[in-house]
Amino acid sequence: MELKTLAIWIPLLPLIGAALVGLIGLRWLKDRSHWLVLIGVGLSLVFALLLFQQVRQDAADVDLSAASIVLYEWIDAGEGSWLNVSVRTDPLTCVMLFTVLSVSLMVVVYSVGYMRDHHGHAERGYERFFAFLGLFVFSMCMLVLAGNFLLLYLGWELVGLSSYLLIGFYYEKPSAAAAAKKAFLVNRIGDFGFGLGIFLIYLTFGTLDYAAVFSMVEAGADATGEVLSTGRITTIALLLFCGAMGKSAQLPLHVWLPDAMEGPTPVSALIHAATMVTAGVYMVARCCVIFAASPVAMWIVGSIGAATALFAATIALTQFDMKRILAYSTLSQLGYMFLGLGVGAFDSAIFHLYTHAFFKACLFLGAGSVMHAMAGEIDIRRFSGLKRGMPITYWTFLIAGLALAGFPLLSAFWSKDEIIHAALAGPMWWLGWIGLLTALLTAFYTFRMIFVAFHGEERLPKGVEHAHESGRWMTVPLMVLAVGAVFAGYVGVTLFETSGFLWLFEPEGAFHEFLAPVFAEAVAAPVAHEAEAHGSHWLMWLSAGLAAFGIYTAWFFYRRRPTIPMAIALASGSIYRLFYNKYYVDELYELALVRPLRRFGDFCHGVDRFVINGILWIVAGVPKAIGFGLKGWQQQGALQGYALGMLIGLLVIVWWVLTNA
Amino acid sequence: MSWLSDHILSLVIFLPVVGAAILFVFASWDAVLVRRWALGVSLLTLLLAVMASVLFVQERAQNTSKSDYCLVEKMNWVGGDDDTGARAVKVQYKLGVDGISLPLVVLTAFLTPLAIWGSFTGIQTRHREYYALMLLLLGAMLGVFCARDLLLFYIFFEFTLIPLYFLIGIWGGSQRQKAANMFFIYTLTGSLLTFAGVIYLGWKASICGATGHVFTFDLDELYGLASAGALSSTEQWWLFVAFFAGFAIKVPLFPFHTWLPLAHVEAPTAGSVILAAILLKLGTYGFLRLSLPMLPGATIELAPAIGMLAVIGIIYGAVAAWVQSDVKKLVAYSSVSHLGFCLLGMFCLKMAGLTGSLLYMINHGLSTGALFLIVGMIYERYHTREMSEIGGLARKMPIMAFFLIVFTMSSIGLPGLNGFVSEFLVLLGTFISATEINSKPGPLGIWYAVPAASGILLGAIYMLHMVRRVLFGPVKEPAHGFDGSAGLTQDLTKREIGILAPIALCCLFLGVYPKPVMQVMEPDLARGLNHVVWETVAEADDPETTGGLDSRRAAITDRPGERLSRPPVYDLKEPIRPTGQPSRLPSHLASANGGDE
Repeated sequence: MELKTLAIWIPLLPLIGAALVGLIGLRWLKDRSHWLVLIGVGLSLVFALLLFQQVRQDAADVDLSAASIVLYEWIDAGEGSWLNVSVRTDPLTCVMLFTVLSVSLMVVVYSVGYMRDHHGHAERGYERFFAFLGLFVFSMCMLVLAGNFLLLYLGWELVGLSSYLLIGFYYEKPSAAAAAKKAFLVNRIGDFGFGLGIFLIYLTFGTLDYAAVFSMVEAGADATGEVLSTGRITTIALLLFCGAMGKSAQLPLHVWLPDAMEGPTPVSALIHAATMVTAGVYMVARCCVIFAASPVAMWIVGSIGAATALFAATIALTQFDMKRILAYSTLSQLGYMFLGLGVGAFDSAIFHLYTHAFFKACLFLGAGSVMHAMAGEIDIRRFSGLKRGMPITYWTFLIAGLALAGFPLLSAFWSKDEIIHAALAGPMWWLGWIGLLTALLTAFYTFRMIFVAFHGEERLPKGVEHAHESGRWMTVPLMVLAVGAVFAGYVGVTLFETSGFLWLFEPEGAFHEFLAPVFAEAVAAPVAHEAEAHGSHWLMWLSAGLAAFGIYTAWFFYRRRPTIPMAIALASGSIYRLFYNKYYVDELYELALVRPLRRFGDFCHGVDRFVINGILWIVAGVPKAIGFGLKGWQQQGALQGYALGMLIGLLVIVWWVLTNA
Repeated sequence: MSWLSDHILSLVIFLPVVGAAILFVFASWDAVLVRRWALGVSLLTLLLAVMASVLFVQERAQNTSKSDYCLVEKMNWVGGDDDTGARAVKVQYKLGVDGISLPLVVLTAFLTPLAIWGSFTGIQTRHREYYALMLLLLGAMLGVFCARDLLLFYIFFEFTLIPLYFLIGIWGGSQRQKAANMFFIYTLTGSLLTFAGVIYLGWKASICGATGHVFTFDLDELYGLASAGALSSTEQWWLFVAFFAGFAIKVPLFPFHTWLPLAHVEAPTAGSVILAAILLKLGTYGFLRLSLPMLPGATIELAPAIGMLAVIGIIYGAVAAWVQSDVKKLVAYSSVSHLGFCLLGMFCLKMAGLTGSLLYMINHGLSTGALFLIVGMIYERYHTREMSEIGGLARKMPIMAFFLIVFTMSSIGLPGLNGFVSEFLVLLGTFISATEINSKPGPLGIWYAVPAASGILLGAIYMLHMVRRVLFGPVKEPAHGFDGSAGLTQDLTKREIGILAPIALCCLFLGVYPKPVMQVMEPDLARGLNHVVWETVAEADDPETTGGLDSRRAAITDRPGERLSRPPVYDLKEPIRPTGQPSRLPSHLASANGGDE
């Protein structure tokens, strides 16, 4: 099939599925509603693979500067300069599509089991759930397929809408409704900047098409041919990055993501871990040319990424809600990706995005499986020793947890190391050390959760008689994703290098080669991290050691000497409380933003009621007062008064006529 | 041309008027018949409006009409061509539509039947009068958009007040009389000043016109005045202020908006729908139709001030909306914010902004009209609009929830729905206003656009706040519960779905594929913009004075060289003048000198 046809059908199929489910789901499909979306997403994945095949074949003669396929003309920005609905099918898009669609398919399958009670009856809103999922997959595909900034913004906002609808899926729960609203609004704060960035791009380059904009940036000229100032390009990059901070929940716009866990767990896995939240990473990688042209922007991206990575990891140490631990871990991993982007390792960041999608989705779905078995309980203090009752969940969770911890030979080991390595090799080497510290914390908090929840003697929350394994619909996706968590990394390494790590592997593999044309322009410029790729095996050993040490510490603290954590918590008092209360960021926002704005609203409303209407009252009072004053002699009923009035009027007219004659 | 295309606009305007008259005559009709009649007449009007659009497209494609607009219908009304040398008055009954007015005609004809249909259960008293007034209002609004004579425009413009005054005053809420009075006096005060401006323009045309001192209100002739240099900048300034007084109150532009929340809250649902969707657009349409092309100098001069007020209105309206507890008042304040966008786009004087502004009129009409309809549907069921008394309605009314979310998203500019296209274009136009991109530079710029863009965030804040309170959370109903006495079901009835679904489809269509509508609008917007841009360039470049001027024109202009130099013609799909070589003379002068050059 032609690229264009594929590019049209990939997003359209899930949308059609979603629309049909939305229209006829409630009345006719009922608890079979999943099929349409399942088929839509499945076919989409097949098409995405076909697209990948085509793009790989054409890789040699693909011309990235002309890679946008125009579908139709959308909005006229004046004088026939149409902003199009156009798609771009380059290697980066293919990687994203594959990641998004494969995880989506697994999550859809999983949801069939998850969105039912133990008797196999569908939950209320079953069809709504699948319609929203389909809408999300459509939006995400549009986001990664977009060939210009405007369509990117469309996908960007639509994934925000799907996320809003799905977080608020249990809308009767006030916390879910609040979380949905918060997610949308915090994202809109980022989008405010993102939108300004897009306008500034149009202002500077007179177009929003990727290819045209990027080629102008590369040439260092704006639309009129003038030299592009560094200030302008930095401003554009930072405004775009605002959007990324919102969508990918980086400091200080991270506050919505932990709350988003109010949504059903498959949603957390798909949207708030594997795909949507990585849109910011994708966007920065897509605009690598713009970012690479501004060292300041790169510095900020990298620093915010590293700060978020460490910050979120410290919070994850203290949380008890499994989904929240995973949410903070997602923040932290996204921080790694931005760290990678900031040091110019765009391909490594995308590689980490890709591996992260599988193991994090697997962890979330595993947590969902636990939640399903524990009658909705997710606090790790309430249960333990689930290993025996739920073997499949346990083993898949363990594998994905090892991957997250950066255990050697699992997927994240390769991708995370690449990022840290790139950071250490560049001028911002200290970011690399933050990355290493975070890696240690990651291993610790991951296995804290695993040891507490799955090991030890079996303890169940009230009302749950025995831990039971989930059904096929749920366990098969878990196993598939666990396989992904183990093997997904191997496309990014070169196998069987005699001088490599364990004498077998070398970083940088087929994955990087495939993506190379996309980042060619950007990577060449600021950081040459490949040069030092070889001979850094000490780093691999070090990070492997850190992972092992973190896991050991977790075991020691939570299995061997369970009193230690409490002692530390008590001893570190205020620091622990700071971590546990998430650095009081939410409270800060409430005080610094929400309340003043609310007061400003009250003020404006007050101005309306008293000031403006007061002035009106005075203005309207003038004729009233005159009328009142005149009433005395004007309408006294005496004929002489009227006659006098008539006379005066007549004289005025006569005078006017005479003087104007 | 066929008889139909010669008279279609009169038919569109007067069909509802005749329908209303018949309602007044047949006093014995019962409520059901009256409703059906009103709906039937308004639907027939819609049909005629659609036919008019088809004819318009045909006529424009064949380019049979010599003027800038199509479907012209012309008749002398007061005075006439029998010029006896004295200052005769010539008021014409002259109709016509162009790409600016046609979309608004269709919008009006589309939304009014839905508003009428939406009143079937809400209106329980005096059916005959109610529906007759609705039809009268429909005719008057269509008249405003079709008029090509300034006095005729003004008559229709003022006439719209009367039906709405009664609609609010009779079928409104508890403070209906106060609201109706305030609405009437407020807008009338403004438009009386506008009337002074109208008369002045007519008088000016009579002393500068070539057709022998005729007191004319023909828009074609009035458009030429400024470019002929007949209006000094002081005159333009005062005229602009006079028009501003009427239109800014109608829009309403901050700080002239305080009548709006009250009028909306007290008006019956259909009144609110028509008020928000169409009547407010009379103000913006007035700016676009009259102020911009007729008073280009003053437009440029005052654009920054209006842009500033628009930006303040965007933010002010949004935060004020957020603190409301009454859903209807919230939506009313949102209109203040949205109309700020509309004016901002207009006065950035870029094609993107103007297109966005005109699209905004339509999109705001659709989404806000629909929001008022939904608020009315909730009110009919619970007799309250207080957000503290209702909540969690998504559980009770899932279909309503679906529509409310769709129109909320449209209102906050979600891409893929209509609101985004116009909001994006308005902001884009404002952003690039000071640059050469796509068209000549305009008066606004990035520092208007940045605060205005915060509207996309603030809009989401108040709308989602409302959605959260009304739809989400545990179910909360007033103590008296749901009232089904008017034949309503808990969730929306088929009739109500039938009202909202077409609007939702329009929102989707205009969001995904606005191209057909944009293509209708653009030639005329570009022409309108040209009137203004001549002025800008003339002032900016101050090029060599063109010689050989009409002596009379030289006498009446204060800065002849500046006013008369013609900047390069815009790159239009159609040239401004059919000859391609722009005429130095306004049309009425040209024709006096012997036709088309």
